[in-house]
Amino acid sequence: MIRLQNVTKTYKSKSREYVHALQDISLEVGKGEFVFIVGPSGSGKSTFMKLLTREQMPDQGEIWVAGRNLGTLRSWKIPALRREIGYVYQDFKLLGNKTVTENVAFALEVLGKSRREIERRVPEVLDLVGLDGKENARPHELSGGQQQRVSIARAFVNNPRILLCDEPTGNLDPTTSVGIMKLLDRINRTGATVVMATHDQQIVDSMRRRVVELEDGAIVRDQSRGVYGYTG
Amino acid sequence: MSARWRYILAEAFSGLRRNLMMTIAVVLSVTVSLTLLGASLLLSSQVDLATDDWVGKVEVSIFLCDGSTCPAITEEQQDQLRRELEEEPVVAEVFYESKDEAYERFVELFKDQPNLIESVDPDILPASFRVRLQDPTLFAVIAEQFEAYPGVEEIVDQRQVLDQFLNFTDVVRNGALIVAIIQLIAAGVLIANTIRLAAFARREQTSIMKLVGAGNWYIRLPFVLEGVFAGLLGALVSWGLLYGTVPRVADNLSREVELMPFIGAYEVLLLGPWLIGAGVGIAAFSSVVALRRFLDI
Repeated sequence: MIRLQNVTKTYKSKSREYVHALQDISLEVGKGEFVFIVGPSGSGKSTFMKLLTREQMPDQGEIWVAGRNLGTLRSWKIPALRREIGYVYQDFKLLGNKTVTENVAFALEVLGKSRREIERRVPEVLDLVGLDGKENARPHELSGGQQQRVSIARAFVNNPRILLCDEPTGNLDPTTSVGIMKLLDRINRTGATVVMATHDQQIVDSMRRRVVELEDGAIVRDQSRGVYGYTG
Repeated sequence: MSARWRYILAEAFSGLRRNLMMTIAVVLSVTVSLTLLGASLLLSSQVDLATDDWVGKVEVSIFLCDGSTCPAITEEQQDQLRRELEEEPVVAEVFYESKDEAYERFVELFKDQPNLIESVDPDILPASFRVRLQDPTLFAVIAEQFEAYPGVEEIVDQRQVLDQFLNFTDVVRNGALIVAIIQLIAAGVLIANTIRLAAFARREQTSIMKLVGAGNWYIRLPFVLEGVFAGLLGALVSWGLLYGTVPRVADNLSREVELMPFIGAYEVLLLGPWLIGAGVGIAAFSSVVALRRFLDI
């Protein structure tokens, strides 16, 4: 589903020194896997996520996502790539002037889906994420956990094959985070590949899924059923 | 209408409403520039009309007596005059225009001013020899030689009459054209800036759209249409302004300036598609350029 081969990404810092955000990364994520990308701030997690949606291009190496080689992907085909990927952010990125239903429907509207399909699919997904009853609320009337559920609903409404989550529990308290993780787990069980960047140790430890640890832009650990820190 | 188009149009109009002041500024600036552009184009067609091919070719008119102010020219005198004109080395070409032909041309020239045609008796227009010279500046040679010729009423240097008129209109038209182009550039910059502000105000929404895989043009089109609507509105207003004023001014002038054909409402109507094309074109171009970098993937 996702394959990186010797990927290097370099930024130029203000002092004109080159900073390696990612150095010679090779990684493969299979269909239906659940992978945590862990590591301290500045270890390259965000760059990794941005490369997968083709927001950025690597300096070297090849990236394949959902059967597409991102290095040779024409820019007009990028939207098609992103329709295969759902994206969940730490700060939710909801539209404040739209209701819950409208926020989720928006993702289908801009893809030109029919009204009937939107009306069928949106309640289904809101039910899945546990937001039935909140359909007409606006984001500021919801708790952080509920807002994140809206953003997950929006990411998943189009049935993407891959769900990318960038610190989805970063703004949430531990109890709420557990609820969000249960939801992501449920989505993973429908067959979607989930890649989640996080530095929430408790969550990683409780899930016991594959863990890829980055440090200074390099993979220092890749462990199935892993925990956040080294177990030796 | 599909949900997709409904969304695009709704976004474009809500953008126009949200930036009402900027929209007004854009419409006004497009109106001013296109009105000037239209005026200079109309002036050009006025010049073309007043100096039709025939007049443009002829440098000297030798009007012949028909007996009203001087003794009518005889056929012999006329043949003699023609022969001598044709033998004259500075003359390139000689045409004869009969009274009937003169009237026909007059009717054709003033078809927009039927009152004028009615007031002219077909008999009043003189027959003439129309002469094209090898060198247009040699008018004096012809004038001196044939002025006192029997049957010749008057010799007119058409070029001199024409040149004065053309010099004046050229200055006015070029001035209007230059101001129009400067204004048009200003309008384009204003549109680009307005669209960029609009895109910036809605950057959250557009970033989410990109994220969920909305097509490029689906994201851009509302902004481009926002600019295009403002440009279209400006073009329509300027068309209306020209349509309301130019025929009236031309009508007044035609009463002041005798014997010159003037453009009318028809020419202003013909101008409409060009104004709309220019307004929409400059707006679309500026919007697309403004969005090129801002909304790149």
